[in-house]
Amino acid sequence: MEILLLLAMNGLVWGLIIALIALGLSIIFGLLDIINIAHGDFFMVGTMVAWATVQMTGNFWLAFLAAPLIGLVLGAIIQRVVIQPIRNAAALSIVATFGLSMILQETARLTFGAVPKRLLPPIEQTIRLFGIDYEVYRLFAAALAIAALAGFFLYLHHTKTGTWMRAVRHDPDTAIAMGIPAERVYVLTFAIGFALAAFGGAVAAPITTVDFRGGVDILPVCFMAVIIGGLGNLPGTAAAAVLLAFMEGIIQSFADPTVARIASLVLMSAVLLVRPQGLFKGFAR
Amino acid sequence: MSRRALERAILVAFGVAMVAVPWLVPALLGSFWVSVIAEILIWSLLAASVNLLFGYVGLLSFGQALYFGFGMYGVGIGIAHLGLSFWPAFGLGIVASVAMALVAGIFAVRLTWHYFAIITVVFSLIFYFLFLTIKPVTGGDDGINFTLPPTFRFGQTEIGLADSTFQYFFILFCVAACFWLMHRVIQSPLGKALMAIRDNDVRASLIGLNIYRLRLVAFVMAGFLAGVSGALFAFFGRYSSASYMFYHVSGEAVVWAIVGGTGTLFGPLVGTGIFILVREVVSTQWQHHLLIVGVIAILIVIFAPKGFVGLWRGLMNRVTS
Repeated sequence: MEILLLLAMNGLVWGLIIALIALGLSIIFGLLDIINIAHGDFFMVGTMVAWATVQMTGNFWLAFLAAPLIGLVLGAIIQRVVIQPIRNAAALSIVATFGLSMILQETARLTFGAVPKRLLPPIEQTIRLFGIDYEVYRLFAAALAIAALAGFFLYLHHTKTGTWMRAVRHDPDTAIAMGIPAERVYVLTFAIGFALAAFGGAVAAPITTVDFRGGVDILPVCFMAVIIGGLGNLPGTAAAAVLLAFMEGIIQSFADPTVARIASLVLMSAVLLVRPQGLFKGFAR
Repeated sequence: MSRRALERAILVAFGVAMVAVPWLVPALLGSFWVSVIAEILIWSLLAASVNLLFGYVGLLSFGQALYFGFGMYGVGIGIAHLGLSFWPAFGLGIVASVAMALVAGIFAVRLTWHYFAIITVVFSLIFYFLFLTIKPVTGGDDGINFTLPPTFRFGQTEIGLADSTFQYFFILFCVAACFWLMHRVIQSPLGKALMAIRDNDVRASLIGLNIYRLRLVAFVMAGFLAGVSGALFAFFGRYSSASYMFYHVSGEAVVWAIVGGTGTLFGPLVGTGIFILVREVVSTQWQHHLLIVGVIAILIVIFAPKGFVGLWRGLMNRVTS
């Protein structure tokens, strides 16, 4: 029972972090029509930034600032240099982002080495929760993820540029006709998508390992969340990420982790074939 | 010289060069490079299977490694667990991959574009994780090793892939046969129907083409190409491993096909050749050769979206006109 509870809790926390990363994937997909194979590596960049920050300053908290900032800058540069020239060829974007993924992974390996590293969480206490000793940092990570998710939705619905993003997504031609600088919105969207993934990476760094291949396993999970939640349905994506990780956590309490992964992949195939608009269509817009 | 004659002359020269490889290459570069060329030939079939779907039907499959893996394991399991001899194991690999492609295709080709790309990668991931879990059968990440049975047996004399010249010609023959088959399919009415779907599926369905069935046929044929590729790779490496079913393998095949030039018969061969040569040449000097691979992939899609063969054709047009 304790194991079940522990794995369910871990699943919930992990799901919230995945939600953050998958949200980045979803806005990039929804606005730029790009299947971003490099998105898992954006997450990996976040974990690397966290590790580097701790190495250089000894202060983990700075990573929560550094990771999204570096993500924003890198995202803007990458959009300008790589994504913008192939805007009208969606199929090529898969190749370009696959190349990008290789470049990011090899650069990380070149700079930080191939050995996976462990980061100690900045909060090391445990707390007694429903009869189990639970790490406080994981609760804190969940809170951070929720705050970032809420912040992003507030930004999207209550600021000028957020409204621009929704407008360009809804109807790019009309948006341009109304004077919205669509080009800048594309740059901004890609940068925010990268920043969300990198922030997720910094939050998750003490929970997982810091590894140049860390994004490879994250990418399929994010795609599952985006598909099951419905392409472009942002609240649905977040809900699906939490649901999936929670489900995998529960299955892991009595079966192999790969069995849990197979179960979510089968669920995803079923959603794709039966409800390609996502599980939550009709609940949120 | 007209353009057609020039291209034909190049093709003949290329064919002669490929046949001369086992004598020419060891003398010029060393016998190691014969096996590199054999590997390029094998992998080019996987890229060709991506090309058949994307270049001629307009479906971007990101899961061809699944059928590659089935071809590989058909051979591996056939020889190591079932004790099959050479040809039945080869047959098992091809049948397994074609059957898998048929089952997956029945579901997958109902979807298009983004959804198609995603469901193909999902199917391949399901079996990747499945093959990792059933370790007693598949050997998981470590894979299974086996000793090759002889290919032909005439009384006492046995001919097998242990003879490296025979192995090269066996691979060359299989790959050339597959490319020839693909050429015939593209030239046939079936091929024209597939291209009609690629260019405009609504119009194609309005002139009476059964889009679903044609896409399924193409998907199964692509599964066949990938399966032959996987079976050959199992013979070549004498082992089968689940790690070749991960989505990175599918992704590399997509990159090779697009960088070489999709919608052309030899584009995937060119793309595969360039990337494997870069890997073999650079990786001995510098272990971060993937950095170069990534840069080439990005440069090509930005500056030459039709791939190397597209570049070549542009050049030919300028030379001959």
